[in-house]
Amino acid sequence: MNEQSKSMGMKRQILGLTMLAVMALFALPLHVSAGMPQQTIEAYVNKVLDVLRNPALKGESAKEAKEEKIWSIFDDIFDYTELSKRTLSRNWNKFNGDQQKEFEDLFRKLLGNVYMDRILAYKDEKVLFHKESMLSDNKAEVQSKVLTGANEIPMDYRMIAKNDQWKVYDVIIEGVSMIKNYRSQFNNILSKKPPDELLKILRKKVDKS
Amino acid sequence: MKCLPSAVVILGVCLIISVFKMNPSSPLAWGEAWDPDSQKKGSSVVDESVPARMKTARATVDVVPSAAGEEEEEEEIVEIADPIYYWNKGMYHFNDKLYFWILKPVARGYRWTLPEGARKGVKNFFYNLAFPVRFVSCLLQAKGRAAAGELGRFVLNTTAGMFGLANPAKEHPALHPPDEDLGQTFGRWGVGNGFYVVWPFLGPSTLRDSVGLVGDSFLDPVRYVEPMEASIAITAGDTINETSFKIGDYEALKDAALDPYISIRDAYVQHRKKKVQE
Repeated sequence: MNEQSKSMGMKRQILGLTMLAVMALFALPLHVSAGMPQQTIEAYVNKVLDVLRNPALKGESAKEAKEEKIWSIFDDIFDYTELSKRTLSRNWNKFNGDQQKEFEDLFRKLLGNVYMDRILAYKDEKVLFHKESMLSDNKAEVQSKVLTGANEIPMDYRMIAKNDQWKVYDVIIEGVSMIKNYRSQFNNILSKKPPDELLKILRKKVDKS
Repeated sequence: MKCLPSAVVILGVCLIISVFKMNPSSPLAWGEAWDPDSQKKGSSVVDESVPARMKTARATVDVVPSAAGEEEEEEEIVEIADPIYYWNKGMYHFNDKLYFWILKPVARGYRWTLPEGARKGVKNFFYNLAFPVRFVSCLLQAKGRAAAGELGRFVLNTTAGMFGLANPAKEHPALHPPDEDLGQTFGRWGVGNGFYVVWPFLGPSTLRDSVGLVGDSFLDPVRYVEPMEASIAITAGDTINETSFKIGDYEALKDAALDPYISIRDAYVQHRKKKVQE
């Protein structure tokens, strides 16, 4: 009787321990996706701010070094393929493979130059990330506010997850989506001119800056 | 039997209300989009506030090819009709020259003479003066909380804020509703944009928003200043003060755009759409 109850006790202990182990396994975050979009973009924005605030990189001589660093952050955070496809949308198929590649390259340069100019004009603004929402399984929107001395500018990022990495595919400033804005411009040009003309215009624009 | 007519009237009113309620943008949809305690993100891409018969804008449906080759969600861009394109383009060039030749140099000089703190005071003062416009539009859209917020902010800033020069209401999120105007009110009521129009001096607008501007001008205290030259001078001063904070923005927009005219037109429509939705 004693042995039986002893072995029963032991069995119960083992069962208890097993249950504890299984529960612990489920309690561990196996797939952390909540908060990832916001964490990702916040990290990159902070990286940019660090470069801008770095006392070692102040002054005209350090401008190139600053730009190089910021370019590499851009290349990490923007998904240029998504950007290109979404801004051309229906017109994407009008471009052949080489033209598509050139478009992506030129658009990257255009966007980078535009953002670089705005970022280098940075003085003291603070960026406040205040909301994150999932738009679908692999898309999210992260909302932020840029606080200048006189204004509060809402800046939202739309992000897409590819290969477990979150990248930005649209920036919405004061309700104006960058993708939609470029799409309407490209649409207008391509309704009258062939893809090569658009590439020519882009080439000229990028070379000017 | 005597109460039958009144019952019919009540029933009829209920039916009408229920029909309107199905249109989320009607004035009888009492739901307020703005909640000071939580931020609600903007809604979908499709312009629901435009009833079919009023839609003079073309909507293009774009199917975006994804990397995997399969078709992703369809994103609808609402283009605006631009029947007076040549007038608009002309006005765009006029305003462009006006900015670079007159407004920007004056604003720069002004910015150099007056420190930011003083300019912010002026900005706050004029913002406070525009209270009637925002307040009335909140009421017309049945946005009770926003109207209360506007009133609270006006009272606080006018008294504790020294006639609007300071902005003590900044600390209270409940006293910071989204700006409303008559153009947005019409949008809420289901009026479509109409078509795009660029006014000299005033800049981009639409048929709907222009009518809104006229209506709002009756609620603008500066309009009633005598003589008329003083009224215009005050408005000009307000414009120069506002511009002093935004020097560089217009240039950046032109820099970023392949076609600035289209870019501004599209940005204006998107921006107003968002404001109507808030």
